[in-house]
Amino acid sequence: MHFSVLHLPFKHFFLNTFLCLFFCTGTASAIAQPLIVRVGLYENPPKIFTEDGQPAGIFVDLLNDISRREGWKLQYISGSWAQNLDRLERGEIDLIPDMAYSAKRAQIYTFPKVPALSSWFQVYAPRGHHIHSILDLNHKRIMVLERSIQDTAFERLRKGFELQCELVRVDDYKSMFSRVQRGEADVAVTNRFYGMMNGRKYGLEDTAVVFEPSDLYYAAAKNDPKHLLPTIDRYLSEMKAEPNSLYYQSVLHWTSQKVAFRWPLWLKIGGGVGAGILLFSLLGGAILKYQVNLRTRELRQINQEMEERIRERTAELATITREQVSIFESAGVGIIMLRDRVIVRCNQKTMEMTGYKYDELIGMSTRMWYGSQKAYEKACDQVYGQLARGETHRRSQQVTRKDGTVFWARLSLRAFDENKPKDGAVAILEDISEERRAAETLRRAMEKAQEADRTKSSFLATMSHELRTPLNSIIGFTGILVQGLAGPLNEEQSKQLQMVQKSSRHLLSLINDVLDISKIEAGQLELSHESFDLNPTLTHVLSLVTPLAEEKGLTLEFQVKPQLGSICADKRRFEQILINLLNNAIKFTEQGSVILACQAKENEICLSIRDTGIGMEKKELKEVFQPFHQVESGLARKHEGSGLGLAICQRLAAQMGGVITVASTLGQGSTFTLTLPRETTIDQSQEVHA
Amino acid sequence: MKKPLLIIEDNAQNLYMMQFLLEKSGFTILSTMDGTKGVETALSCIPLAILFDIQLPGMDGYAVAAALKRHHELAEVPIIAVTSYAMVGDRERILAAGATGYIEKPINPETFVSEICKYFPPGWDAEGKL
Repeated sequence: MHFSVLHLPFKHFFLNTFLCLFFCTGTASAIAQPLIVRVGLYENPPKIFTEDGQPAGIFVDLLNDISRREGWKLQYISGSWAQNLDRLERGEIDLIPDMAYSAKRAQIYTFPKVPALSSWFQVYAPRGHHIHSILDLNHKRIMVLERSIQDTAFERLRKGFELQCELVRVDDYKSMFSRVQRGEADVAVTNRFYGMMNGRKYGLEDTAVVFEPSDLYYAAAKNDPKHLLPTIDRYLSEMKAEPNSLYYQSVLHWTSQKVAFRWPLWLKIGGGVGAGILLFSLLGGAILKYQVNLRTRELRQINQEMEERIRERTAELATITREQVSIFESAGVGIIMLRDRVIVRCNQKTMEMTGYKYDELIGMSTRMWYGSQKAYEKACDQVYGQLARGETHRRSQQVTRKDGTVFWARLSLRAFDENKPKDGAVAILEDISEERRAAETLRRAMEKAQEADRTKSSFLATMSHELRTPLNSIIGFTGILVQGLAGPLNEEQSKQLQMVQKSSRHLLSLINDVLDISKIEAGQLELSHESFDLNPTLTHVLSLVTPLAEEKGLTLEFQVKPQLGSICADKRRFEQILINLLNNAIKFTEQGSVILACQAKENEICLSIRDTGIGMEKKELKEVFQPFHQVESGLARKHEGSGLGLAICQRLAAQMGGVITVASTLGQGSTFTLTLPRETTIDQSQEVHA
Repeated sequence: MKKPLLIIEDNAQNLYMMQFLLEKSGFTILSTMDGTKGVETALSCIPLAILFDIQLPGMDGYAVAAALKRHHELAEVPIIAVTSYAMVGDRERILAAGATGYIEKPINPETFVSEICKYFPPGWDAEGKL
């Protein structure tokens, strides 16, 4: 380990300054080229040792002072005593401080003339020892520093006195003393300086066994190659001559300081601990006070902020509460807070609905909502089971007012916390008397309407029979007369009877139309379902209307292929639709032709009836299938009709799963097209509305 | 003795019309205006054919048809309903009840008799003879 120029204790400053001035003349040249001096450092306090990582001790003080004044640069190289001896012998270091002179060493190293210190060896033993002379060391276990002068000197002594003792050689004094303290050896052989300084620390004290006085030197490498020793000699001589010199101060410092009066350990520890506690408590008190003040300020600030927030929050809550109270009190339904099936709070509307005052309602059991005690108890499981699932229980029931009258109410019940439904629930009570009255009125109206409908149906059935029976009579007898079965008629009689017959037939068709549309709209028209060939059916229909066409001088064309196949539908209604469409076409055509064409496809058939008649305006096309619709042109008015024919046809077609479409140009003619599926689906539920 | 044709019809005018037309064609007519009496008459004389209305006092047409059908003596007698078609299904219902045929009102004087004759076994004439 290397150390650069080390500092001196502060208290030596003035002395050093004085010495510096005193010797300034001989040092000037050395400063320019600093001489590096390697010094062996080892542990032999107080003469030389390491303290706080720095070399210290009497030899160090003196050497530092000399080197400072000479401008040397010191490099301390630490090692054990034995290592230092080897290094000095090999010239790896320049000086070893504190080496006792011996003839043998003088052959290896070079010693100066002036010794630095004089010392002797002394035996140290634990306090209370009984060693009063060298003979007392017989049979003792004795520790010595390895390869030291004391080692050889003590060996010589031991032999001289013929002592039977065991020598234990150790590396340094420190471990020697601590091992003796621990009882690993009986006594330690040390130099007087080390003993003076450290004996007490290890519980050892000096004995009367003192031997081998010796002078201690700064030993240099053989022949002192750096010529250090003459300089050291000069300084040492000077310092020794001066009673107040650094020499004496250093010796005094290192030998007295460590052996000064010491407080008993317990007192020191106690005092130290006490002082520590006192200091700690004072310091702690101060810190605590500081922290308390700091915390108090923080708390005060937090408190202020909290108060501010509480004020704000309170104001917010007050607003919310006011809002909620307003909603609560102005609600159009009764709102009731329940706890364990007892009313704890309710709003104005509840009082109005039930006729009870607030004080009467509070504390009232919900028993009043149940007809009997049994029902009240039974409902508990059901209702609260639902509330516990977080659901809203709803029911309608009669509630009795304070005056005994009863009203219908809808009750909705929900728990605030589904886990504890009995701890709090809200009940909403709605007066549904009006609602129920309205529902009742509606129900009665429905019943009435259904009754009326039944009456109508019955009326229609009756009318169907009652109207037709006399008409049958008229038509029948007229026919008999016209045929001459009842006797011969003259020409005028025959003509007039034919007019009666025609009017009767027209009246019959009108009656049939009214009955048909009524039945269709009441959803009472039933259709049959039969398969029939199209060709003969169409031929038959055409034969029925041919006389009318011929009467008006119109051409009736039949553009139908021979093999149209069959269709499954209500044959009579199918014929009715075609007859109606053909009659209309003939009716509204003054000249030209009426053409019946048929397109047969795999799944459906398209029958079209095209005429060269008056045609219709576009807006009329939309209304042509409406019941009681009649063409409003002046020309049309001369045509008789119920205005129901097309409406019936369209509805019949729809009921058979088909449709009738119309295309027309005013003044040029119209084309009505009936499209029907071959397999008509009979949708009896279908209701066709006007 | 010539077999009569029985008409059960409560409307006098309709009865007269049918009777007039049938008598003109050479049929002998027995008539009654009540369903129950009609069945009794039919059993007592075993007519050539029976024409009956559906709406009848005492026993309606369906019951008359069913009653007539129960007697095997009348098994070969055509039973023909003559009624106004009020509702779809009337025809099916009356045929199901036991009627042999069905003629719609209003009757057509020109075709009435020939329609009746369609229900007679082939070759019969107004006197029920081959």
